[in-house]
Amino acid sequence: MNRMAAVALNTFKETIRDRVLLVIVVFALAMIVAALWLASISLGETARMMQDFGLVAVTAFGVIVAVFVAGTLVRKEVEKRTVFVVFSKPVRRGEFITGKFLGLSLTMAVVLAGMGAFLFLLTWLVAGVSSWVLLAATGLVYLQVLVVIAVTIFFSTFSSALLASVLGICVFAAGQLSHNVLSLSRLGDSALLKGLSWVIYLLIPNFSAVDIKPGVVGEATAAWDDIALWSGYLAAYAMVALVIATLVFNRREF
Amino acid sequence: MRRVFVIVALLAGLAGVAAFQLTQRHVTNADARVFVPSSRFYLDFSPSFRTTIADAYWLSTVQYYGEHLKSDARFDSLGAMLDLVTELSPRFVRAYQFGAYALLDAGEGQKAYGLLQRGWRRNPDAWQLAAAAGMLVYMYGEGETKVQIAADWYRQAAAVAGSPDYVSRLAATLLQKGGERDKAITMWAQVYAEGDEYARQKAVAALDELLPARCDERIAALAALDVPMTPDRRAELSAALLRD
Repeated sequence: MNRMAAVALNTFKETIRDRVLLVIVVFALAMIVAALWLASISLGETARMMQDFGLVAVTAFGVIVAVFVAGTLVRKEVEKRTVFVVFSKPVRRGEFITGKFLGLSLTMAVVLAGMGAFLFLLTWLVAGVSSWVLLAATGLVYLQVLVVIAVTIFFSTFSSALLASVLGICVFAAGQLSHNVLSLSRLGDSALLKGLSWVIYLLIPNFSAVDIKPGVVGEATAAWDDIALWSGYLAAYAMVALVIATLVFNRREF
Repeated sequence: MRRVFVIVALLAGLAGVAAFQLTQRHVTNADARVFVPSSRFYLDFSPSFRTTIADAYWLSTVQYYGEHLKSDARFDSLGAMLDLVTELSPRFVRAYQFGAYALLDAGEGQKAYGLLQRGWRRNPDAWQLAAAAGMLVYMYGEGETKVQIAADWYRQAAAVAGSPDYVSRLAATLLQKGGERDKAITMWAQVYAEGDEYARQKAVAALDELLPARCDERIAALAALDVPMTPDRRAELSAALLRD
């Protein structure tokens, strides 16, 4: 446990040092400019526009940072041979992978909390309204980011950093559309197509189930019981991805 | 020297790009008929981002309206754009409100009324939509029943908690005009119970006209008023209406 915490802490320090927090500053500046622009063209819907587009920006910034950092986490250690130093100590590969995941998760918690809090305050200052649902939505974006990190780390155990990052983005996009895969299965009578659709549906994480963006602008009331269940599913999904990543990484020869 | 050369080359490049952009014909919504996709597509494709897509189309709709208002006053795609926004975001109250007025400018009164009706069905807590529908019927409607229909819209708007005084005042005035005496009396009494001094003066004047002129009948009508009011205010109203 201590060894895993040590890897996690080192990863956190390393990623924070990588100027990842600069993302928050860029996000803040982009939001201020966008807020002033939106206020002038949205016919009094500044709060709605800021919250809606702001959350999309939080998601996009969060996912992009997560996949590109997660893609290099393991690869960099292997390519720079620093992984030998780590494994010369009594650190198991599973602990290494999980530690890397936890470290980056901590960094992303700081990044997303910074962006979420800034968006909340800016909406409150500029438009005079802000909702706690906005903070809850940011929390659920974080959950999606955790899954994307786990999946990207899994890909990075057997592919290049760039390919792992691209695949991570693909999984995020597919997760937004997973419900459509089932619709595809209803299009024809082919048992093969139906079976394949079900397999793909089960493999892809269902992100839209925990998305409450419409609720932030008063569009739908979030069903918190369902969201709690789906959050548990996503947490389990991330764990499974990490276990598979560990199994693949265990087979690597160094 | 080399650095200066790089900076000059960079600035020249930027100036070239900017000059090229500025001399090109600007891409705008100049055509009154623009492509508006089906809301079904977006609802199936990305339910998580449906409100964001609605917002993007909202900004585009406002821009489209502004551009064509200033130029050719043609709004061929306005209805479709508003339908898309309100289907993707059914609780976007301002889209119905603004949309109704914009459609009126486009000469699409029936569509404007339909949009408000749909908005009211989906947002029964948005008194603004019922009030806008009342105004639309009263100003642009035709036929003998239009005052009554408008009054009914205002009455529905006034029934929403938090609606301002003037809505019930308007409803009462229209009911009075439409000949619904009992409803008008109740609405004016409501205005008196909840309104400010100005509203109370208007209510007293209207009630004075509506209530029976004979003193005993007026006392009976006042006693029968089924409107929650503080005892002081009720006494004040009785005094104002029974002073002769």
